[in-house]
Amino acid sequence: MEKIISIKNLNYTYPDSKKPAINNLTVDIYKNEWLSIVGKNGSGKSTLTKLIDGLIDADSGTIEIDGQEINEKNIWEVRTKIGIVFQNPDHQFVGATVEDDVAFGLENQGMPREQMVKEVDHALELVGMHKFKKRDPQTLSGGQKQRVAIAGVLATRPQIIIMDESTSMLDPEGRRTVLNLIQELRQQQDLTIISITHDISETELSQRIVVLNDGQIVRDDIPRNIYDMGTDLSKYGLEEPFSDELMSTLRNSVELPESYLNEEELMKRLWKLRSNM
Amino acid sequence: MEITFEHVTHSYDANSPMANLGLDDVSLKINDKKFTAIVGQTGSGKSTLVRHINALLKPTAGKIIVGDRVITSETNNKNLKPLRKKVGMVFQFPESQLFEETVEKDIMFGPMNFGFSESEAKDAAHKMIELVGLNQDYLQKSPFDLSGGQMRRVAIAGVLASNPETIILDEPTAGLDPVGRHEIMDLFKSLQTKGKTIILITHNMDDVANYADEMAVMSQGKLVASGLPSDVFNSQKLLEDDLLTLPQSAQFAQSLAKKYFQFDKLPITIDELSAEIKQQVNGD
Repeated sequence: MEKIISIKNLNYTYPDSKKPAINNLTVDIYKNEWLSIVGKNGSGKSTLTKLIDGLIDADSGTIEIDGQEINEKNIWEVRTKIGIVFQNPDHQFVGATVEDDVAFGLENQGMPREQMVKEVDHALELVGMHKFKKRDPQTLSGGQKQRVAIAGVLATRPQIIIMDESTSMLDPEGRRTVLNLIQELRQQQDLTIISITHDISETELSQRIVVLNDGQIVRDDIPRNIYDMGTDLSKYGLEEPFSDELMSTLRNSVELPESYLNEEELMKRLWKLRSNM
Repeated sequence: MEITFEHVTHSYDANSPMANLGLDDVSLKINDKKFTAIVGQTGSGKSTLVRHINALLKPTAGKIIVGDRVITSETNNKNLKPLRKKVGMVFQFPESQLFEETVEKDIMFGPMNFGFSESEAKDAAHKMIELVGLNQDYLQKSPFDLSGGQMRRVAIAGVLASNPETIILDEPTAGLDPVGRHEIMDLFKSLQTKGKTIILITHNMDDVANYADEMAVMSQGKLVASGLPSDVFNSQKLLEDDLLTLPQSAQFAQSLAKKYFQFDKLPITIDELSAEIKQQVNGD
């Protein structure tokens, strides 16, 4: 697997703070993977994002993106490889219409108008919001707004998309649409997705989960093994997956395995027990 | 405090892009000392509804009875302080409203505005900071040095400090991690057991199932259902019309019922679900 981001011995402490926000962190992120970074409020998730995007400078350590180590000189160029979708869609809109908004990032890059119109149309097509292109973004639902925000990011053709709690304010329906869209785009556009979240159900589509605590990586594993931590997850501000919680309430009277089962596996197990009666 | 909406309609300025939001002939009773959840998709009118309770918005038609106050389109803005002291409101992302130089001053602002003396307000600040799960050391910090979750708690403490009878919460846990969310939800539940009326706007159906006594469902400015969560979540019609999503336990039960299992009524909490499964698997 090819690395797209390689972080080595990264340290960062906020001014006026005694405790490091990022503490000697080392991690590799691979091309086309969907990596979830989880951890409680204050664990260092957002700080790590800011460091990757060069919004703040590390005290020590290195970040390599697509083979280039970030420094003051190349940060602007490196940043064009990364798109970020933030938590609150209302804070991200600048345009009077959906298409203006999506065009904003491209205008900043100085793209000729004709090409820009094409790129905007294409991006809105990808997120299924083409028919809303003349609408005022403020009249859209939360899920629609986030899809427009994603289109704005896609239009700049990044290689990496960082989802910074981008679905936490959406209703369940909006959340599902956005997550499925991201999965589709990752596969079609060969994107690398980094999603920052503390919602365990949001990590189900990812291939790998990194658990942060006090600025350090405490676990780095596939979702199944992370979910297997059960109630220990709460130490890191996370909730047990629903199937795991249900299994622990059933175990005293229903015969179930010790290891993690997802909802579908648990359901099959229960059907089997019921059919044997 | 009992709160009654009688045929309340609210239309925003017809020229504004929000004209399609608002309320459409809503009649609803919110019972005294109960925990009532208000759910519905984004833009369904939930926030508009609760903003009528302390007269931040006034109805275009109909009336709202809050304890001994009646709010109609005629209600003027004078003398609303007693009402607003009784009805505390925690808005979405309340931390964006912090502004004082210390946490203590920020929490004291509300009570002093409602006529508490400085020492009474200070007292309230010292009690409330502990109640929301932060210690006294935080009082002298700047609110802007706190993490998002801590700022949220300070903002909630500021509303509680005026000792309102009714507390309205507009998605108070959005963006908090699950452990923080449970702590805050448990706090609201404990306030209810101390005699407060709690009104919660939320998208989290598990919180509704676990904490609320009663619920109301909004859609396109209309009230489409209200009642006990166990009844509302069992309304076939609401689910078919896609006006409601189910708590995780009910969703699981629904899928489980595709084979062998059968639920007369969908369980809405994990304990109810677990009890049903045990009974059906073991026959006891």
